[in-house]
Amino acid sequence: MSLESFNKLVKLTARAFYDDITAKGDNQPKSGRSDNRGIAVVVLDALTRRQWVREEDLAKDLKLHLKQLRRTLRFFEEEKLVTRDHRKETAKGAKAYSAAVAATADSLPGREGEEKIKLHTHSYCCLDYAQIHDVVRYRLHRMRKKLKDELDNKNTVQEYVCPKCGKRYNALDAIRLISFEDDGFHCESCNTELVAESDKLASQDIGDGDDNARRRRREKLRDLLQKLEVELKPLTDILHRVKDLEAPDYGTLQAWELRASAVARASNSDPNANDSSRSGMSGTPMPFLGETKIEVAFSGVEEKEIKAESAPLKQLPPWMIKEGMNLTNEQRGVVMQESNADGTSLSMDDQKDEKKLINQEVDDKKKLQEEYFKAYYEALLQQQRAQEATNIKEDPSIDNFPTDADPSNSRKRQREDDEEGDVEWEEETPAPVETFKVDLNVEAAEPSGDDEDDDGIDWEEG
Amino acid sequence: MFFHIVLERNMQLHPRHFGRELREKLVSKLMKDVEGTCSGRHGFVVAITGIEDIGKGIIRDGTGFVTFPVKYLCVVFRPFKGEILEATVTMVNKMGFFAEAGPVQIFVSNHVKIQKDSEVRLKIIGTRVNATEIFCIGTIKDDFLGVISDPAGS
Repeated sequence: MSLESFNKLVKLTARAFYDDITAKGDNQPKSGRSDNRGIAVVVLDALTRRQWVREEDLAKDLKLHLKQLRRTLRFFEEEKLVTRDHRKETAKGAKAYSAAVAATADSLPGREGEEKIKLHTHSYCCLDYAQIHDVVRYRLHRMRKKLKDELDNKNTVQEYVCPKCGKRYNALDAIRLISFEDDGFHCESCNTELVAESDKLASQDIGDGDDNARRRRREKLRDLLQKLEVELKPLTDILHRVKDLEAPDYGTLQAWELRASAVARASNSDPNANDSSRSGMSGTPMPFLGETKIEVAFSGVEEKEIKAESAPLKQLPPWMIKEGMNLTNEQRGVVMQESNADGTSLSMDDQKDEKKLINQEVDDKKKLQEEYFKAYYEALLQQQRAQEATNIKEDPSIDNFPTDADPSNSRKRQREDDEEGDVEWEEETPAPVETFKVDLNVEAAEPSGDDEDDDGIDWEEG
Repeated sequence: MFFHIVLERNMQLHPRHFGRELREKLVSKLMKDVEGTCSGRHGFVVAITGIEDIGKGIIRDGTGFVTFPVKYLCVVFRPFKGEILEATVTMVNKMGFFAEAGPVQIFVSNHVKIQKDSEVRLKIIGTRVNATEIFCIGTIKDDFLGVISDPAGS
């Protein structure tokens, strides 16, 4: 859900800072035809729509020359926006990637046809969102600081440069630079008199003492600073929004591939697909065994899992909701539903691991249900014992069950309130009674499958 | 900024000083050695104010010199970035001027309309610290900074 915001950040960054970057070297003359300004924006935009992508495929998609794309990507790698990975692989080995791609975007057909043994170096690239965030913030910070310092003439260390040999000094070297013949500063290596370097940003008129020139310079700087703030407003806004969000992270190429194919396997339930591709990979099999997952096996978890996957999104706890997240009303808890009553260890990092989350959700639900049933049967048993005088063993009448007059019943209700603070359960109470009839003597029995499913659905909606 | 701290030093004493006034000799030698020096870590040692402890001496083989570990209290002066100091202008050239605040030298760039020997209040904007010397650069472009007394006026 943070992906959208981060993609917007990337797009804005591309337009703000990389708009006029050409993929060509600076030494080549720019002619009208070969002018490829804006290519950087196109490439970055394309990358926001992909995860890890093979550079050849990207070039094909963008109808760019591979060399040109590589140059752009190398530039972005230096700018720390993009991570790249190169590896030698056979055409067959590339299938691992293709399989992973097929899992994420099922539009791309896998290339199974070509089977050469020849090794090719394939390069892959991917946006590094977390780093982009940092890079952009740093860049903005530097821009502002430079302008502000210059404006206040504060914290700026005067620099000196030797006109003959180009050696640079700053004011901290001053004591070493004074020569004894005259009071001026002289270069250490060629003894030429140094000149103070004029400001880089605003073209400084000669004669620092000139108040008029200084005022003009200050105005220029202030204008520049103001313009920076106005023009980069969208970027700062998105940075602010994204600040507390977790950056999408696709991991390294290998990790991503494994994860993607694992997801594919899980969804297709076709274990062979991955195995064949893995065996085709050159080099040793990777020790990566997927993410550690803890599953508590309950009977009937399988079918519940599938059901839960199609279930509506669950509400996030308030401490997890942050500004800028795209959430439905339900997730924000507008209906005031307490889906995870005791808030058990739903930590932030689980956010990504959806499967785990769902498992946990199911477990939580089961736990609650179990607790509830336990309390419920206990209460009923006590009730029964009270009624033992009349000895109606096989039929605890539904009529007298919900009355609050019964102390055991109220105790039950209190406990229930402690546990989930939800009125919903009370309305549901007639439902499990049928089950109760079936196995009356079993204390805290597991509810039968049908009944449980009903509860599950009610619980979600309530 | 000034600090009053305890420092330690190993003093070598010639055998001819051994006698009743060994301790006095040791202290006077310490003062001569240490006062006015500069270490990058602690700054300029301005004055020794007392002796904390003199440890057991060790006689060196061959020379007969004795090494005493001496702990002493002293006032040190260490300039920091952002600190405001009052200083006397010692030299003006076309790049700026140099000023002295006690032992520390400060260079202020881009101010040439200033007279030698005038007093200025300045802010340190950068320090260069070596093992044995400290050099600062400062500015007088800030509120309440600048010339505080002209030599012509006094």
